[in-house]
Amino acid sequence: MNAETLNPDQTERLTLVPWRETYRRLLTTAGEHARGLRASLLGLVVAAALQGLALACILPLFIALLRPQPEWSAVFVWLATMTLLALLATVARWRAMGFDFDGRMCRATHALRVQLGEQLRRMPLERLQDKRTGELSAMLLGNVDENLNYALTVFNMIAAAVVAPLVAALVTLWFDWRVGLILLLVFPAIVPLYRWRRPLQDRDKRRVAAAHSRTYADILEYTQGLPVLRAACCEGEKAERLQQGFAQLREVQEQAERAAARPAILIASVVELGLLLVVAAGTTWVVLGSLDLAVLAAVMVMVVRFAEPLANFINFTTVLGIIEAALARIEALLAIAPLAQQEPQRTPDRYDIRFEGVSFRYAQSDTPVIDGIDAELAPCSLTALVGPSGSGKTTLTRLLMRHADVQAGRITIGGVDVRAIPPKTLNGLISAVFQDVYLFDDTVRANIRMARPTASDAEVEAAARAAQCLSFIERLPQGWDTRLGEIGGRLSGGERQRISIARALLKDAPIVILDEPTAALDTESEVAVQRAIDALVRDKTVIVIAHRLSTIAGADRILVIDDGELVEQGRHQQLLAADGRYRAMWDAQQATKDWHLKEALSV
Amino acid sequence: MNTDPDQPARAAPTDISPWAVMRPVRGQIGVAMALSAASTLSTLAALGLLAWLVHGLIQDPGTMPWAALLGAAGCTALAYVLRVQSFSQSHAAAFRLEQVLRTRLSQHLARISLGEAQRLGAGALAKVMQDDVKELHVFVADSTPLYARAYVAPLLTLVALLWLDWRLALGALAVLALGFVAMNLAMRDRAEISRRYHLAREQVGAAVVEFVQAMPVVRTFDSGHATFGRYHRALEQYLEIVTRWYREAGLSARLGLAVLNPLPTLVVLLWCGALLIWQDALAFSTWLAVLLVGTGMAEALMPLMSLLHLIDKAKLSIGRIEQIERLPALAVAQRGKEPLPGDTSVVFEEVEFRYEGSESAALAGLDFRVEPGTVTALVGPSGAGKTTVARLIPRFWDVTAGRIRVGGVDVREMRPETLMQQVAFVFQDTFLFATSIADNIRLGMPGTDMAAVIAAARAAQAHDFIMALPQGYDTQVGERGIFLSGGQRQRITIARAILQDRPILVLDEATAFADPENEAALVRALSHLMRGKTVILVAHRLSTIRDADQILVLDRGRLVERGRHHELLEHDGRYARLWRSYTQAQQWALGAHAVEEQAPTASEETPA
Repeated sequence: MNAETLNPDQTERLTLVPWRETYRRLLTTAGEHARGLRASLLGLVVAAALQGLALACILPLFIALLRPQPEWSAVFVWLATMTLLALLATVARWRAMGFDFDGRMCRATHALRVQLGEQLRRMPLERLQDKRTGELSAMLLGNVDENLNYALTVFNMIAAAVVAPLVAALVTLWFDWRVGLILLLVFPAIVPLYRWRRPLQDRDKRRVAAAHSRTYADILEYTQGLPVLRAACCEGEKAERLQQGFAQLREVQEQAERAAARPAILIASVVELGLLLVVAAGTTWVVLGSLDLAVLAAVMVMVVRFAEPLANFINFTTVLGIIEAALARIEALLAIAPLAQQEPQRTPDRYDIRFEGVSFRYAQSDTPVIDGIDAELAPCSLTALVGPSGSGKTTLTRLLMRHADVQAGRITIGGVDVRAIPPKTLNGLISAVFQDVYLFDDTVRANIRMARPTASDAEVEAAARAAQCLSFIERLPQGWDTRLGEIGGRLSGGERQRISIARALLKDAPIVILDEPTAALDTESEVAVQRAIDALVRDKTVIVIAHRLSTIAGADRILVIDDGELVEQGRHQQLLAADGRYRAMWDAQQATKDWHLKEALSV
Repeated sequence: MNTDPDQPARAAPTDISPWAVMRPVRGQIGVAMALSAASTLSTLAALGLLAWLVHGLIQDPGTMPWAALLGAAGCTALAYVLRVQSFSQSHAAAFRLEQVLRTRLSQHLARISLGEAQRLGAGALAKVMQDDVKELHVFVADSTPLYARAYVAPLLTLVALLWLDWRLALGALAVLALGFVAMNLAMRDRAEISRRYHLAREQVGAAVVEFVQAMPVVRTFDSGHATFGRYHRALEQYLEIVTRWYREAGLSARLGLAVLNPLPTLVVLLWCGALLIWQDALAFSTWLAVLLVGTGMAEALMPLMSLLHLIDKAKLSIGRIEQIERLPALAVAQRGKEPLPGDTSVVFEEVEFRYEGSESAALAGLDFRVEPGTVTALVGPSGAGKTTVARLIPRFWDVTAGRIRVGGVDVREMRPETLMQQVAFVFQDTFLFATSIADNIRLGMPGTDMAAVIAAARAAQAHDFIMALPQGYDTQVGERGIFLSGGQRQRITIARAILQDRPILVLDEATAFADPENEAALVRALSHLMRGKTVILVAHRLSTIRDADQILVLDRGRLVERGRHHELLEHDGRYARLWRSYTQAQQWALGAHAVEEQAPTASEETPA
């Protein structure tokens, strides 16, 4: 795992997103529930405004009460009005929060996750195989609900912290403009203050996140290297260095905490000072006789009620940041375009493959991994790709499967550019067997049948028999219905490989790609897998990547690839005679083939 | 730590108390909570003083009530300072706790059996040490002060209200009680449903990982629906649980939200107060004091709901941390008393081994002796137990019965350092540290001079490619450095073993090599390494071991045959069968029309 992608919430650059943008994204992600969400958000604003009005009723109430002769009818009218407004606020909020509580928010995030999943199936595979994008997508899909479900709660808090005080302050303006003005200056002021300190906060967060990913890399190295460390008797020494790293992390954390505290203290001080200012000024004006004592008392009761939501607001700004980042990332992921489909769409009717001047480099890299490769693979022929690791063999097969598109040249199947073949058709044309086998947490039968869902049980079993799977499947605790998630680890590499070959057999695609399918098997498995492969490749156009050259010596054509370029091609004998790169590899391998201990111990 | 007042009452998803994890910093957390409580008290005092201020103005409208005003300002400032201090203490404690826990975990990992560590997986262990420890932060740093306040504030407020006016106090208390009941209703069965919720979340997580990781397979094989269906099903299950939770808890939660809000309390207190004043049974300033102090009583309870959710989340992490801490440490012999190995022999005496939780033994009745200076090869089908035998020697696990002696001494009676000075290991999974190549070769022997390092690298056939690297032996390896091929990495680990020069060598032969040229170099490197050593070799390619002094054939954890190559072939048993399929596999070539001299249509022959 790449440490830097561990916590994208913190590592990613959080630029200041305009709230309008966040609002738009939020509504977009709600999909068909957008209307409901908008109504709900509006409801929360209305509720906050009503709450502000309700609080403001204390002003006329106290004024009526503190007259030399209390005006009781007015007192009770205002009490009733206030009760009514409070009720209305409660109802409005109740209805608005219904978006959460009757499950519409969950359904919206659910629909969004399904949509994101669909997007993963459409986007170029190369993007997904890029570690960072892959992990980010997984994280996004996993956490999208946690990130968005708080949206209403946070919005409610912002409304309570901003709208209610604003409305109350406006009403106060009408009773005493000076007090109202101070209120207006103090409360809304924290919003720009908060926006102003955000970038600072983000910088510190990034620094902490960097320290965290350093520590994570150290920890991972330690846990992975533990056997080696113990064998070298230096686990103590390494552990000491690791622990120094922990101490450093703590230092960074504490520094960042102190740094983050400063602006927070500033904002809180502005608020607290503002409140004291209102009280002090109000008291002075009362003493001087220019302010009604009732107004001062009422303002005190109101203002005290605003302190709590404001504190909450500050506390929840982190959550707000997370929501903003999640929304931005959702938009970015949904914006990745699938590979362009050439028109008119065509379906090949023969299965020869041509690489014509094919060049390819990965998005982040300057150097091509495939550089001007030309090759022609006859239908039903066997072509081997050989060359050192990292030379581009696997990339070439991936380009054929359209994990990504070439930057120059083209690849055709039966004369049709792969970019003109509809993706589903293309997938149907090619079976691939890799060195690493992915088995799904499902039954053996389902794992094989996924290659052709319409296949009958008899067909599935025939494929399994041809792939040499029957003997071990019957040994499994529940036979064909054994779930592989639970026992996946108990299958040997060869057995897993045979299941994947059974899949490919069942699919019966005209083109077969074999990527070192026998590289990591023990002897007995290898024989079985070899027989399974023999069944698979019959009458197919086959491309094989193999390390052991003797296994591909019979190929119709061998392509020797080095550093992304085709350096030699021909049949085994021709290449041996040419005395080039292939010859050198062959000789090296022949020399080690008969290596044994006597030689080792006597030299 | 017993600061959690209702701890026994709450049925936790796990049996552990989340507060126990804070033990290393509980003093500081206690201080933080006390500061938070003091801050709450100070806030209440400031509010009381505000009421007193208005009272003064009513009594004597012409004079500035300095005492009350300054007092209120002072108390507000004090409350604020205390709150900041409380959070700064709790954050400092949380950071210290992170360091303590990580240190403790890293030390513990060095003491448990390597087999256990491997079973859990390096990645998973690292995730616990990093992410789960980090996950505690919100709980320890942010919620402890809030927790203290959520309990102290309503209590202090109630005392103050009772002192001010018991009738209004009862009114406020009624609202609070209503809110409390609603909240408890919303929290009913929380433990159970929260367990199911987290379970469903984990399933979604697993489905997502499968969906993303398996995408290449999904695209080629799955015309679309099986995998996406599984992803979709996990999501739907999750949706169902969440909506059910919302539906069941929704009404009471909404009621809680509606009641535990300042407005209802305020309305009740205003009505009660106004009626009392109307009756001339209450002074305005007392009423004002009650309004200022009492309205926040219910509100203070609010954070409890989200805090409990946080604690639930923290518990999951705590559970994973405890799981590692509970792994037993390997017993280690005491310094000074240990016997020293006499020679370089390795002996297995009636060794039985079973993996924890497994019913059948992975190895049983294993009895063999490796003489000093000889080569013993372990062969057998996959799952026979070859690698387990190799890993029992360095005590990845301890045997469940019998014993293993190195130089005549039971490995369990030796201190790890003594054992490791006897035995060198070269395993399949080559691991290099993110330091220079030179440091990787002289790992554990920091004083070694460069000449020795280079000599070892030469013997391991690594010198040439190392010199071709940009900074030669100083080139950094790994994430932040150069990426080496599998074969190159293997040769560096062999150089390490050559430099260590220990008399016994346990070698797990690689099954796969990167490419032919690498393979040739690797073979030469191994030849250098094995010279003059007692060697135990897990062999995958039988041609290598034809000359071994002893071949042990394992099958399902038992020793089924032993002898030299030709003896075993004559015996025509398990080994002979393995040998035949090995030679057959060697001759296989793709395509029925195989090339003449290479593969006489081996694939058509029937295997043993």
